[in-house]
Amino acid sequence: MSTPVIAEPASNPAAEPAIVKGGPTAAQRVTSFMPVIALVTLLAALTIADPDFLSQRSLTAAVRTSAPLVVLAAGATLVVLCGGIDLSIAALCSLSTVFFAMWLPDVGGLTILAVVAAAGAIGAVQGIAHVLLRIPSFVVTLGGMSIFSAIALVISDAGPIRVVDRDATSWLNLYVAGYVPMSFFVAFLVVAVISLVIKLTPLESFVRATGYSESAARLAGTPVDLVKVAAFTVSGACAGLAAVMLASRNFSGSPTMADNLLLPAVAAIVVGGTAITGGHGSLWRSLAGALVVTLLRVGLPIVGVPSAWEQILYGAIIVAAVALTLDRSKVAIIK
Amino acid sequence: MTSPAQADTEDVIAPRPQPRRGVSLRDAGPPIALVVIIGIFAVLSSDFRTVGNVQNIMDAAAVLAVATCGISFVLMMGSIDLSVPGVMGASAIAVALLVANNRNGNDLGLLGVLVAILLGAALGCLSGVALVGLKVPSFMTTLGVSAVGLGVATLMFAGVQPNISDEMLRGWAVNRFLGLAYLTWIAMACVLVGWLVQRYSRLGRYAYAIGGAEEVLALSGVKVAPYKVAVFTLAGSFYALAGVMVTSQLSAGLVQAGAGYDFRAITAAVVGGTLLTGGRGGVLHSAVGVLLVTVLINGLVQVGVSPYWQGGVQGLIVVAAVSAAVIPQRRRNQVTK
Repeated sequence: MSTPVIAEPASNPAAEPAIVKGGPTAAQRVTSFMPVIALVTLLAALTIADPDFLSQRSLTAAVRTSAPLVVLAAGATLVVLCGGIDLSIAALCSLSTVFFAMWLPDVGGLTILAVVAAAGAIGAVQGIAHVLLRIPSFVVTLGGMSIFSAIALVISDAGPIRVVDRDATSWLNLYVAGYVPMSFFVAFLVVAVISLVIKLTPLESFVRATGYSESAARLAGTPVDLVKVAAFTVSGACAGLAAVMLASRNFSGSPTMADNLLLPAVAAIVVGGTAITGGHGSLWRSLAGALVVTLLRVGLPIVGVPSAWEQILYGAIIVAAVALTLDRSKVAIIK
Repeated sequence: MTSPAQADTEDVIAPRPQPRRGVSLRDAGPPIALVVIIGIFAVLSSDFRTVGNVQNIMDAAAVLAVATCGISFVLMMGSIDLSVPGVMGASAIAVALLVANNRNGNDLGLLGVLVAILLGAALGCLSGVALVGLKVPSFMTTLGVSAVGLGVATLMFAGVQPNISDEMLRGWAVNRFLGLAYLTWIAMACVLVGWLVQRYSRLGRYAYAIGGAEEVLALSGVKVAPYKVAVFTLAGSFYALAGVMVTSQLSAGLVQAGAGYDFRAITAAVVGGTLLTGGRGGVLHSAVGVLLVTVLINGLVQVGVSPYWQGGVQGLIVVAAVSAAVIPQRRRNQVTK
């Protein structure tokens, strides 16, 4: 009955010209370098505020703090590239710190692998739920977030669990070449390996196609469902690895340890310039974004801003960065 | 049926299409589930089937009911709102600092409550403006606004917890009328107001229409953007009132006043039959959802399940409810983000 009415305005000529243009515009060029520009500006500003900041010691410390955030953001970037969002990373990371602290006495040196595998499996379950039940990814992961928190609270009795065997993770506190903290090196390695694997296999086009236009990708024969499940699996595994780093730094696991990392991780992804609409972006961008976010966190007290502003800043950054990187040609209606 | 000439004149006074009478399974489901769950718990636990526990459940549902009232409008539009913790936290601290308290000499009473609600409305307005102005999806804008709200709350908190000594506000949680706390009556009034807005105001009707088919509404000449901002503003003021109610219950302002309420409110709304895709459900549906969630939590505790499982149960419910709701709409090449 109402079909003829809807059929008429199917084509929207106003949206066409933006796509026809070849080559990036000046604004697009600037936004594509946004994370690097932000990073350099921040470093410069902090150095002016406190000349001691540009010393090897404080930079090493800052880079070391950023390691778990880099890993978390890198994993979740894959999900965002596919056009989804993973809001459960922080809760899954907290749960994994509990796993790590609980399993360490029994499993020993293999605990790291076990935790990463378990977190990856949990991520896969979320991906499968998203794909099979056809629920929006943020609902699945929002549900996952509260389920994981509940499990972590129950199995840990809502308290921190001490890491008994510090030797298992002592290697994470070493330094590569005397300067680079091992944890950051591992984080860097994770980003590099995932990026390389994606680049060298058809996965890159699969992921991009899924993110840019899922229905087109599906019609073209891309295994969209598999790609999405894989993205969630990697995201989960990364949350597990980040948990190992956190637990090794704090010598304990706790059901709320990583909960405040969700916002910084999302901020890192969008500040890096990965479009929340999917398709456009990369893990390297999230690495830069995570460094920006860490510098902000470390730098605010140096400039003399109360830490309460940190939250407000995250909020503003997220909204502003998403507004800059959003692919408007794709979403006619913003919900 | 009618000649073209007649049709022209008739179109102007076209009879309003009668909504389908009779209750569909989708609408009847949640109330039936509520009755079934109450029945099960009443059989399982002797503590559950007492008058005192019914009062408990009603009182425990009050804050959630107000927050869910607000989020229902946003969900009806097909948007999502994750800003509840931020807005509730900001208004909880704001009201604690504005009524008689141990931190400063303010004693604004009801005016303070009003200012706190205005603050919430402003934060909600911010979400809406960012949504329509910057064209950022609502889950991102509201995530950002939630962080802003928490930051504002932390700034106002300033390291010293504001304890309220205002008799009126404290009385809301303590004094009872017909066996229920004042807060519960306030929540019922909110549900009533929300329902009236949804049913009889242009804002409410358009919120439905935006969720149903925004393109059609825009093509028929309605400027959608102001209504979206207005809906988020209305939702923000509901959350702020919920934050005030938490402050009244705790007799102190806390930054964490709204922690977890975003998810609880979404769960309640979805369980009540409001679709996340918009265009369905409403305030009364959500009210049933609130009772369902509260009864379930209360009942599980009475039966002896660890309270830590609460969040997990809600997570499972929301995933189950959403997936049940989308089953009829499954298509081969459907895009779910």
